[in-house]
Amino acid sequence: MITLYDYELSGNCYKLRLLMGMLGVEWKTVPVDFYPGREHKSDWFLKINPLGQLPVIDDDGLVLRDAQAILVYLASKYDASGTWYPRDNPALLGEISQWLAFADGITGTASAARLHDALFYDFDVEAARAGAHRLFRILDEHLWFGEQEGRNWICSASQPTIADIACFPYIMLSEEGGIPRQDYPAIRRWCDRVKRLKGFSVMSGVFPAGPAKAA
Amino acid sequence: MLDLAKTRWHPIAAGYDLPLRHVFHGQLLGREFAVWRADDGYVNIWENRCLHRGVRLSIGINDGRELKCQYHGWRYSNRTAGCTYIPAHPADAPARTITNRTFAAVERYGLVWSAEEPQGEVPEIPGLAEGELLALRGIPVNAPADVVAARLKGYRFQPNAALDGKDAKVAVEASNDFTVALRAVEGGAATLAAFFVQPVDSNRSVIRGVLDGKVEGAARLAVLRHHNELLSALRVAVEAEAAHKPAPAPLEPVIERVSPELAEMPEETKHGRKATIRVQVARKWPAADGIAGFELRPIKGLLPTFQPGAHIDVHLPNGLIRQYSITNGPGESDSYVIGVKLERDSKGGSTCLHETVREGDVLAISEPRNNFPLRRDAVQTLFIAGGIGITPLLAMAQALKNQSLAHELHYFAQNEAQLAFPEKTSTLGASLKPHLGLSPDQTGAMLREILSGYGPDKHVYLCGPGPMLEAARHIAAEMGWPETAVHFEYFKNTNVIDDSTSFEVALARSCMTLTVPAGKTILEVMRDAGIDMPSSCEQGACGTCLATVIEGEPDHQDVYLNDAERKSGTKIMTCVSRAKSARLVLDL
Repeated sequence: MITLYDYELSGNCYKLRLLMGMLGVEWKTVPVDFYPGREHKSDWFLKINPLGQLPVIDDDGLVLRDAQAILVYLASKYDASGTWYPRDNPALLGEISQWLAFADGITGTASAARLHDALFYDFDVEAARAGAHRLFRILDEHLWFGEQEGRNWICSASQPTIADIACFPYIMLSEEGGIPRQDYPAIRRWCDRVKRLKGFSVMSGVFPAGPAKAA
Repeated sequence: MLDLAKTRWHPIAAGYDLPLRHVFHGQLLGREFAVWRADDGYVNIWENRCLHRGVRLSIGINDGRELKCQYHGWRYSNRTAGCTYIPAHPADAPARTITNRTFAAVERYGLVWSAEEPQGEVPEIPGLAEGELLALRGIPVNAPADVVAARLKGYRFQPNAALDGKDAKVAVEASNDFTVALRAVEGGAATLAAFFVQPVDSNRSVIRGVLDGKVEGAARLAVLRHHNELLSALRVAVEAEAAHKPAPAPLEPVIERVSPELAEMPEETKHGRKATIRVQVARKWPAADGIAGFELRPIKGLLPTFQPGAHIDVHLPNGLIRQYSITNGPGESDSYVIGVKLERDSKGGSTCLHETVREGDVLAISEPRNNFPLRRDAVQTLFIAGGIGITPLLAMAQALKNQSLAHELHYFAQNEAQLAFPEKTSTLGASLKPHLGLSPDQTGAMLREILSGYGPDKHVYLCGPGPMLEAARHIAAEMGWPETAVHFEYFKNTNVIDDSTSFEVALARSCMTLTVPAGKTILEVMRDAGIDMPSSCEQGACGTCLATVIEGEPDHQDVYLNDAERKSGTKIMTCVSRAKSARLVLDL
């Protein structure tokens, strides 16, 4: 059984809850009081992750940190369909890695702005917001042309990949960091599509979508 | 400048921004919009705030017929933006004042246009033919619209058929503060590009470009990318320029209060039954054996919001006034559809509608009234319809179906040919349960079966002929259904009205004491004294003229109140009921 070291309001932890829910994987949660307890910097947690960051999983003794790395592991091990991280498609794996790094960029900007606004972190919030807008412009353009080409997801596969999961949370939570998504209509439509995936779950600040029109 | 801009039409979205079941977040001159396309194609542009707590409706849910707020689940109807349901008040019909502000919407050139105070038409661009266009990706720019438009006059691009060239001559064909039309020519290739700059706010704009001529396949993508690249570069330059100037203060849109006509009390008239709406019979058809369907479209404007269970008064050419339930599903707001059964002992109402009223005729109707509201918090809802009693229950069943809430519609009729509105009932799928050709005894047995197994939070709604309703209410009571879970609507009051008594009525809030003589109703006496009181059926069936009793003992003669309400002695239908005591005090 997987153990997830989890903080309910963390978008990075939410990425793993999302994917595990969609894959139908069971897990148990060890809550870590990120705020205000700063438990992720406590002695017991630093033994698990010396970086003092969430999330961490423990899968039968295999301890992994870093949300993107854990997404790769979970999809490789537990996705019977092989579509979330298609190991036999090098071009797609390259694309996925590229967008996983992009997701890290979103974390470094949109999530930083949210930590500043919601959890009072001492960050340069204007720089963080400007950085997030720069990334959102790039993603909106990418998704808009994707729609024109008949592509629904971030990577050029007909199914969603872990790149979609990695980018989704901190985009959906961006308004909590003072970053509106009004100028990114293609991102907003893609968010609807992610929310309609089977097994989708919500977290505080992420609302569900209604059903798509039946074909 | 701002006042002028408000009167102009501006694009606020592109057609591709409004896929079904999505809510687009728009903005024009500082005012935010929730923009959504209903499944029937209608484009709704609304103030982006729920009337309840002000939450943005752009994060709401477009279910194809209604928009639901994420916060407390208030639902607003396609077209009218009228509230149809408030989950925290499941037993009540929302007030007509709960109507969001709507804005004009026009689709043109592949774009969606709106205006706060529109004057004139959407700008006409010679050379742009509807349907033969390519809408470019909208480019948001952090700069004022006039600065963007001025910069667009110097925009250089290649014609569609000469994308690889470098030397296109580009000429400005027309321009103003918000529009720039350019023509690029190289060799034999020429393309007209119209750019409409949407003033989002004082310092924010969106460039919405449209090209003449259709381009298909890979060439289309190449053209889209060509302009996206050039316009993105233009954006960088404009934003760099704008960043050197102090940003103008954001516009502050005025959030309107409820419109005066909605906020005021309806105007007083001598005649208590008002027919303020004129509709045309757009379609009349046999909805079933002996039942005529009528589709009523407004002569002008939009019809008011209706809720499932609501009815309208129809004023007939022969002077009679009759009540008919609206059968529409949620969001079907462009017309009202009613079903009229030809009554054998018709006093002229159904005969007139069946024989005299034709397609194209104009009728006067009242605003919809809902005295038969539908709760949507039940774990299961049963509808039991007898014959033409299907009409209000059909609207209710469609509403629950749309929200995927558990329900069954039991429809009793003589034979299959008498099942009305098959095109509507067929959409209900397995929840429709017809019961055909049953004798009264068999009907009773079937009702027992349907009503067995009462549980908490189950509700039943009954509508049909009097004897069937009496039987169903009786059986429901026997089977342990509490009165609060049994909702019913009679077609008419068949009680013999005893109006031989005489008594005094004191109107507490109006500070008047009136005497009701034998032969006159409370309603008539109040109207003679200048007290306005809404009414509809005026025979004690519909519930419109309900008043609250403060003191005295009512003599109930209606069929609207249930037994518990009667016993409580706190409500009275003023059109038929009277007093057993010498004096009644009403909260009027």
